Amino acid sequence: MSNSASPPPVPPYTGPGSPQDVPPPPGSFPIDPASLPPPIRDELLAPDPVAIDTSAAELKDGLNRCPKCGATDIKQKPGSDLLICLYCRNEWHAQRVEEEFGLGEGLDQLEGTVIASGARDIAADAASVMTFKCTGCGAEVTVNTENAMTARCHWCRHVFGVNEQVANGAVPDAVLPFHIKKDDAVARIRQFVDKRRMFALKAFKEQFTPENVIGVYLPYMIVDGKASADVSGHGEILTRTYTQGSGDKKKTYYDADVYQVERHVDFTVDDLPLESSSERGNLDTGTNTNNIINTILPFDTKNAVKWNASYLSGFSSEKRDSGVEQLRPRLENQLLSIARAQVEASTSRYDRGVRWEQEGLSVHGTRWVSMYLPVWLYSYHQPGSNGGMLHYIAVNGRTGETMGSVPVQQWKLLLAALTVGSVLETIALMIVGNT
Amino acid sequence: MSDDGGLWLLLLGPAGATGLYWALYRYYRNTDKSHDFEHETAVEAKPVTGSDRKVDEVRGTQETRIDGDNVRAYRKRVTRIRRNSS
Repeated sequence: MSNSASPPPVPPYTGPGSPQDVPPPPGSFPIDPASLPPPIRDELLAPDPVAIDTSAAELKDGLNRCPKCGATDIKQKPGSDLLICLYCRNEWHAQRVEEEFGLGEGLDQLEGTVIASGARDIAADAASVMTFKCTGCGAEVTVNTENAMTARCHWCRHVFGVNEQVANGAVPDAVLPFHIKKDDAVARIRQFVDKRRMFALKAFKEQFTPENVIGVYLPYMIVDGKASADVSGHGEILTRTYTQGSGDKKKTYYDADVYQVERHVDFTVDDLPLESSSERGNLDTGTNTNNIINTILPFDTKNAVKWNASYLSGFSSEKRDSGVEQLRPRLENQLLSIARAQVEASTSRYDRGVRWEQEGLSVHGTRWVSMYLPVWLYSYHQPGSNGGMLHYIAVNGRTGETMGSVPVQQWKLLLAALTVGSVLETIALMIVGNT
Repeated sequence: MSDDGGLWLLLLGPAGATGLYWALYRYYRNTDKSHDFEHETAVEAKPVTGSDRKVDEVRGTQETRIDGDNVRAYRKRVTRIRRNSS
């Protein structure tokens, strides 16, 4: 029996399409579109239509009082981070957490684990449903913090927001307000799908209604860290290339010098986002399409403001269920990947590549801030075995970056592939036959 | 044309069909996409240090790259040396 105090190692992520693979450069396509048949080529090369940015969805009233007149009729000014009082038209900006808590400073002096109050561990007995007593009429109003942070009193129409950090982990330290308006998000989703219609599932095309997109605040941990990493392995430098044999037997051979390579790097990372919902953090592309939501990262988290439920009026939200300790293995995994990317440039002389064999990480200090980030989500459920697959098209609520998963009509895709394959095979047979 | 060259050409059809299927499937489903945190996160690194020591020579290999090349596969974890982390 092992007496080791350290936890067992995390099993490696495997499988095709796993997000552990380094993603391809943006906009790249593995086949030259010019070599494809015109209809497919036209779809791939079609320009992105301009996203329409017109009116915004009306936001509901919040509970926060206007600092000038005291009215509670407050909403976010669409397309900005401002809150506006509809009674006196006063506009004000909530305090940015970056300046308020000095989150952008002292990265290279981080020591230990610094956890902001909203990122504390979730109390084991915490309930999702919270009850408030209405100060206007005395009625009891409940808010289900699983998916909402505000609720309206059904008697006197007063709006309640969950504004205090509570033990159930629903209230983060900061919130990044939506900038992209609903119409803009709808246009972006429509243009994304318009470029992927030819082989899309028929039922998906028939039911496609991007107006059903919903704005969701998703929970993230934003982590600053200071770390050191070491990697070691072997690298090869080409010394000679030569051919032996002649005609069909001609073969190329290589000589190389083998080096033992060791690298060390000290670095700090600023605002690394980690999904703090265990469901969203599961990026297994075989069972879900959460990698779509992961892809629209990063956000301009420097502009996040102090928690204020008024920003969440009219939007849905998801609750955090992971604490710092649950997320630490994933942070270390990402820090190791960052270190490997950092040392890559120093191995350029090894023109036959490097095989890293060992790696180590020392995390000197981390700072964790819990944050709600804005995402427009369109979802389509594709029926199938094991409950089918939920396909997402996600729009970053700040930058407008759009990514999605469109279900494919398998027989159409197979038919197109077989047709192109047959044409190529016919050409090959003609060439072989002629020789 | 040699026999080898002819056989290679016959693979064009299956390879083209598989390649197109794979590429279009990826274009629609985007299963290969994820946040490129290695390059999109603000990282400040001190100069990389280390050592290079010649330990062996390879003679007459037909491989164009080192066996197990993972210099760009940042997310493929290798044997982890455990240290005390705070």
